[in-house]
Amino acid sequence: MEEDLIGIKNTALSFILEAEDLDNLEETKLQFLGRSGKLTLALKEITKIPVEKRKEFGLLANEVKQTIEDAIENQKSKLKTQKLGRVVEKIDVTNPGIKPSLGHLHLVTQAIEEITSIFEKISFEKLRYPEVEWDWYAFEALNFPDNHPARDDWETFFIKGGVDPKKGPMLLTPHTSSGQIREMERKQKPPIRMLNIAKCYRRQSDVSHSPMFHQFEGLVIDKNIAITHLKGTLDYFVKSWFGEKRESRIRPYHFQFTEPSFEVDVSCGVCLGKGCKLCKAGWLEMGGAGMVHPNVLRAGGIDPNKYTGFAFGWGVERVLMMREGLKIDDLRILYSNNLEFLQQF
Amino acid sequence: MNIKILDSWLREYVKTKATPEKIGELLSLSSVSVERIEKFGNDFTYDIEVTTNRPDLMSVIGIARETTTVLKQNGIEAEFLPPKLTQLQTPKKDLIKIENDPKLVNRLCAAVMEVEIGDSPKEIKDRLESSGTRSLNNLIDVTNYVMKTIGHPTHVFDFDRLNTQVLTIREAKKGEIIKTLDEKTYTLNGGEIVAVNDKDEIIDLLGIMGLKNSVVTEKTKRILFFINNNEPNKIRKASMSLGIRTEAAVVNEKNLDRELAFDALLYGIQLYKQIAKGEVISDIIDIYPNKLREKNIEVSLEKINKIIGAEIDPEKALESLSALGFKATIGNGKIKVKVPSFRIGDVEIEEDVIEEIARIYGYQNLPSVLPIQTQIIPHQFANEFYFENKIKQAMKYWGFTETYTYSMVSEELLEGPLAEAVEIDNPLNEEFVYMRKTLVPSLLKVVSDNKSDETIKIFEIANIYNKRPNSLPEEILSFAGVIKKEKISFYEAKGIIEQLCFDSGIKKLSFRQSEKAGNGASIYINKDYLGEIEILDTHLIDFELNFALLLKNASIKKEYKPLGKFPPIVEDLSITVDTNIKTEELITCIQSQSALITDVTLKDSYRDSRTFHIYYKDPEKNLTNEDVSKIREKIITSLQKQFKASVR
Repeated sequence: MEEDLIGIKNTALSFILEAEDLDNLEETKLQFLGRSGKLTLALKEITKIPVEKRKEFGLLANEVKQTIEDAIENQKSKLKTQKLGRVVEKIDVTNPGIKPSLGHLHLVTQAIEEITSIFEKISFEKLRYPEVEWDWYAFEALNFPDNHPARDDWETFFIKGGVDPKKGPMLLTPHTSSGQIREMERKQKPPIRMLNIAKCYRRQSDVSHSPMFHQFEGLVIDKNIAITHLKGTLDYFVKSWFGEKRESRIRPYHFQFTEPSFEVDVSCGVCLGKGCKLCKAGWLEMGGAGMVHPNVLRAGGIDPNKYTGFAFGWGVERVLMMREGLKIDDLRILYSNNLEFLQQF
Repeated sequence: MNIKILDSWLREYVKTKATPEKIGELLSLSSVSVERIEKFGNDFTYDIEVTTNRPDLMSVIGIARETTTVLKQNGIEAEFLPPKLTQLQTPKKDLIKIENDPKLVNRLCAAVMEVEIGDSPKEIKDRLESSGTRSLNNLIDVTNYVMKTIGHPTHVFDFDRLNTQVLTIREAKKGEIIKTLDEKTYTLNGGEIVAVNDKDEIIDLLGIMGLKNSVVTEKTKRILFFINNNEPNKIRKASMSLGIRTEAAVVNEKNLDRELAFDALLYGIQLYKQIAKGEVISDIIDIYPNKLREKNIEVSLEKINKIIGAEIDPEKALESLSALGFKATIGNGKIKVKVPSFRIGDVEIEEDVIEEIARIYGYQNLPSVLPIQTQIIPHQFANEFYFENKIKQAMKYWGFTETYTYSMVSEELLEGPLAEAVEIDNPLNEEFVYMRKTLVPSLLKVVSDNKSDETIKIFEIANIYNKRPNSLPEEILSFAGVIKKEKISFYEAKGIIEQLCFDSGIKKLSFRQSEKAGNGASIYINKDYLGEIEILDTHLIDFELNFALLLKNASIKKEYKPLGKFPPIVEDLSITVDTNIKTEELITCIQSQSALITDVTLKDSYRDSRTFHIYYKDPEKNLTNEDVSKIREKIITSLQKQFKASVR
């Protein structure tokens, strides 16, 4: 009886290994394990075996059954792989893929989104203010004296026929700082944490100036805001935007609407501050910042004896070029809308 | 504005062992930006950027004072050595009279000297040349050298060529003609400050440039050495409108220290004596109508620490201020300063004094701290920027390229009457004159500028500007796109707008036959006009939407409809109907026949036949074919009655 079982096992295994396709294999399976399969029938013979030997026989029978089942499973997966392989053979993996449509967002949009996300994480609120503004918001309330060169016809665009008796001439705002007074008026009372990213206009057009460009402006006003907070915010931005290895520093500078005023530098990405051909002794200028001038707070209806604040305003295009190291020889290509250019990014 | 000075020149006024690199580094951190240090023979030049509020630093003395202060603060030994200027004994002789106009000139200092013209010594030549000024002869060189050292421009006339008893300062009249010493002729606009001789001939354009008719020549024997401190705005206006941007003009248009004018005179006379065998032969003239008023400022120690954000040692602060030329004292928890004359135009309020203390302390020595939020301010994340970004992303993944075109356009690109456009008074050129009222023309220009591309899909989101009387223009965010493609379908453009609105939670979107001339559709949200799709050609379609209106209606509000327990029955119904009848009307008719019809869409249309895909669903039970056929009969009857449609 035991020999019979071993014989069945061997026959089954050889059939299984010879099976050429899945149908063939299924047939073999039925032939041995089916209701009237050879193994099934053999097992029914157990009644003819003396009771004391039945246990031993049972164990062997199970082992045989298991072996056959395992062999069938193995062969099945082998055959499946073979079948798929025959199809796959027709694929040239180096042929191009079928791509879903993909356009391009403008570099400036990409930069604006990233800048927004960095500042929103430290609770800055993004807002929008007029691009066509009164002199009051762009200059007068920002402590610019009447004769300041920025108020000249050759630096700022003025709008024909627009003069308000109180707010002065209408113009295209030359900086996002005009949003400072707008925000103080809107909020009326600190705390203020404003982020203004907008189009600005200056009467200049050359390889490094476009008459339309973008700035991002931050304004924080609260009780006890100090220079150290401005430093912290700058460090946070510089490390988020340029990478953790980069450092920032502030140096004395001069602006009408801040006192003290600073120029902000970022350590050079090429030499990391050691000094090289591309930077000024290890540093690159990023833009201006400062503590909000008390006259500006007053103009916005905020008591400078109770509140202090800081502000910064930098060029979106500038920080973008600085980070990417894009060797763009004429900034105006950003607004030329040459598709060959736009579709690179 | 930049000043270039030689290291050896600077060290004439600062005694220190600090290296040029160290001096450059510390000046940049606490004073002026040293942009470059370059080798010059055995010496070095510093190229320094000076901000417009600090004309006092457009001089070697000014930089020397700052250098000494910052070196000392950083523990490096340094001593400031100001020039020794001695008062002069001069002959009591009145060789020329000057008639000043105090509205034009704040102070005038002058002296007549006998001199010998010749070359300057090598040291002076080197110092001038390395600072970017050409050395001409000793008489001219002295004027430039004094300006660079002291920080006040000076001028020299050939005294005999002036040939006048009186020199009068007045405003130029419009149309007067002058010839500058570089032989260029200018017609004056009126308002420039000029000096005239007793024949009323202009012999100087004050503060800007000398004139051909009074300049020193090789034959000069006697000079009038002349220092004028002018009304800065007049200088800027004249210099900009004539286009003469000399170094003197750039400095003179800032608020220059009037006290320096006399120092410049004394120092110049000293130099003429040394290098041009100069001898003063007249009285010293010093006309000083507009004297400076003393300025004192008090600031509390508490405020200093509060704004800087760190504890500052008051004694150290006092030391810094004194080194910078302030007379500073401390008492009652306050620092009191008297502002030096050379800083009067610049230091006005407490914050200015705090800046001086903080920068010399060193911003690099302050900690960096993020400001804490003192109030709970909820973050409005689903704001207009959220939807703007979402829509831009969608456009990108649907294959559109985003453009940024200029807000200002030419007359050609402006749509609508010129009088209704916001117009720039001082445009840079004719390309940028009007603020645009629509984006599409700018986008169409991009299409025509990129001729070689056969398929173009572009979009832009930007403001348009509508003029309003006595008020700022209305700025409306607008969203426009253009598709250029062979056999472009109207439905492609419509589909984009439908999906964008759907994704932004906008319901009640409707399209009507365009009310404007041309082919296309007018689009509405409820009753508000959203915008337009325009078919320009078989290969060109554009659209422009009032994006602000879209944003106003956008929402992230979610709604839940219970899932159906019973499956729907879906069937197609094909009809033949007049092509003038709108699909929307047919769908509305079908839908109104039974509450069990949950959805109707147009599946196909060809000539006068249209196939509708209809969903029937009952939330309470399984629908039978019988139920559906009753409704179908109703639909067919209604379509026949209302639209004369017949089932195919």
